[in-house]
Amino acid sequence: MDNHPGAESPLQSSSARAPEQLHFTGSGAEYFGIWIVNLLLTIVTLGIYSAWAKVRRLQYFYRHTELAGSSFDFHGSPTRILIGRVIALGMLFAYNYSVRLQSALTIVVLAVIAFVMPWLLRNSFRFRLYNTSWRGTRFHFRGTVARAYRVFLLNGFLALITLYVMAPFAHQRLKAYQHDNSWFGRTRCSFHARAGQFYLIYLLLLGAIVVFWLVIGFSGIGGALGSLLQAQKHGGHSNPQAVFRVMAILYGAVIVMAVSIGPLFHALITNLIWNNTRLGEHRIECNMSPWVLIWITASNFVLVAVTLGLFIPWAMVRQARFQLESVRLFPASDLQEFVAAEPETIGAVGEEAATAFDFDISL
Amino acid sequence: MLQANYFDGRSTRVRLVDLSVVGEDLVIAGEGIDFRVPFIGVKVDERLGAAPRRLRFPDGTFCEVRDLAALDTLLSMTAHRDGWVDRMQRHLQFALFAAVACVALAAAGYEWGLPWAAARAAQHLPPAVGKTLSVQTLKLLDGKLFMPSKIAPERRQALSAKFHALRLPEGGSPDSELLFRSSPQLGANAFTLPDGTIIVLDDLVTSIDDDRQILAVFAHELGHAHGRHSLQLLLHSSAVGAFWAFYVGDISALLAAAPAALVQARYSQDLERQADDYGAALLAHNGMSPALLADALKKLAASHAGTSAGGYLSSHPSTDERMRHLLLLAASFKSI
Repeated sequence: MDNHPGAESPLQSSSARAPEQLHFTGSGAEYFGIWIVNLLLTIVTLGIYSAWAKVRRLQYFYRHTELAGSSFDFHGSPTRILIGRVIALGMLFAYNYSVRLQSALTIVVLAVIAFVMPWLLRNSFRFRLYNTSWRGTRFHFRGTVARAYRVFLLNGFLALITLYVMAPFAHQRLKAYQHDNSWFGRTRCSFHARAGQFYLIYLLLLGAIVVFWLVIGFSGIGGALGSLLQAQKHGGHSNPQAVFRVMAILYGAVIVMAVSIGPLFHALITNLIWNNTRLGEHRIECNMSPWVLIWITASNFVLVAVTLGLFIPWAMVRQARFQLESVRLFPASDLQEFVAAEPETIGAVGEEAATAFDFDISL
Repeated sequence: MLQANYFDGRSTRVRLVDLSVVGEDLVIAGEGIDFRVPFIGVKVDERLGAAPRRLRFPDGTFCEVRDLAALDTLLSMTAHRDGWVDRMQRHLQFALFAAVACVALAAAGYEWGLPWAAARAAQHLPPAVGKTLSVQTLKLLDGKLFMPSKIAPERRQALSAKFHALRLPEGGSPDSELLFRSSPQLGANAFTLPDGTIIVLDDLVTSIDDDRQILAVFAHELGHAHGRHSLQLLLHSSAVGAFWAFYVGDISALLAAAPAALVQARYSQDLERQADDYGAALLAHNGMSPALLADALKKLAASHAGTSAGGYLSSHPSTDERMRHLLLLAASFKSI
């Protein structure tokens, strides 16, 4: 880490200050009341209330997240989120219909969506960060639109034509775009992870997936599938029950993979990203255990399924607590010295459109 | 007296202050701070569990309060009243009521609202939508699941002629196209596509030896075409999928992808009954007995007896129940 001679005495360097851990103080039972009322009002208002519900949900989680004795806050306005949702819904309809009704129009609609998407995603970063604050000082995202096109369109295209060989590179560039352009007040964040480190984790992911399917194949399930295909090739009647059994096994295998390899990858990549992000001179450490995350994800999945969703509030709180509390900030100087930047106004269109199209933007 | 952290909104400096109410004003006093604001201009955050609440002042500065009980005491001395959503979120009775109401609304919406909306929407979608969907479905199935029909062209023409000679109860004759295909996998079966096109499989024609009974099956399929049932099913499954994704999507994208088909069996049975009723009415309108459809069903059941889960009958109510219902209809039409 760079030394700042004159600004502080050596005794006050990062090693001398105690690390500050993020704390999450919410509880599942408490959140259940908020969640169920939100759900009821959303149903009764045919979805209109969902924008207010979203603000309450984010406020619940932000305000229960504490750093150095002060909590975060979310300032997004529900009406802006509602406008964003309406536009996002319109785009989603246009997308669905153009994909189902293949015609010349499909290409036009997809091209328009691809063209506005980088701009929307960049806006969604801006909206989310600008409406997040700690101790009354807001975050900001200052990435340019031009870079957004490069990061999303160009790198995405590169990943696609190289059959995803370039995907880890594209992911690294995306995170660099996000974190290098994030500010807390007038203090800028910086991102230091290299593409090589992303490749290492992606290789591990690939290895885990290969091993998983080899195990599935050797444990006889592959045999059942093979004989089924064989029977079909020879024009014989395939037993519908056998088909159903194979489909159920495949579906189950995909679920098992998603609740084991999924969290494993998520923990490793999140640790990498945050361990290599700095807020000004302040270092961040993220130490999420992949095994605990696998346990939480898998048990949440089972409990949500068994309770037909009633466990959702507890599941969300469990997951948030574990993920947030694995993050620590190593202050290089006094955390009272951040200065706020000038206020701006930012619309919510980007964020809603981006989430409607299922882009996972984990910040 | 209430302790709070004061922030000026321009830096992250924490100042410890005491809050008190004097008359109509809130007094903020502490480390280098001493001011009062009319309470009417103070925005109080709603309660979200045990999270700290903020009192926001008109100049953009605010206080973060952790002692929620003491804050309640302070607020009770002012004109502040909690919002109704705030109160609902906090009380167990409301939470339980909301839980019951959610389940009841979801059940009612699924049972009545959704089929009603799907039926209305299916009737109002432009015909082009059904047409395009049908062309695509057929393109997808031809060559994979469907093979060209092996039935003699003369026989097909004869059946088509009889089909088009049927008179519909609402007037006119069927404008549905009748297509013949064969499919070893699907056996004795018939389908109606979203635009009303009816696909008949060879096994169905060969396993029913009475043309009037084949026409009864066509009448049943015309019921599906008349009610636009395949569009309804499509809309129904999209809506169920969208709701499920909204409901569990936050926590598990995987659960959100759970097939909507799991909850659709009963809905499609309802549509089958509707098609039976329409078919029976159509047969009666053409001077034929609805019992013909019951006879056809019997033969189809026999032809499917060998395979375990026969295609034509799996998404349908039990054959016995349908036959009983049709015979009842036959009796009632006779008496008119």
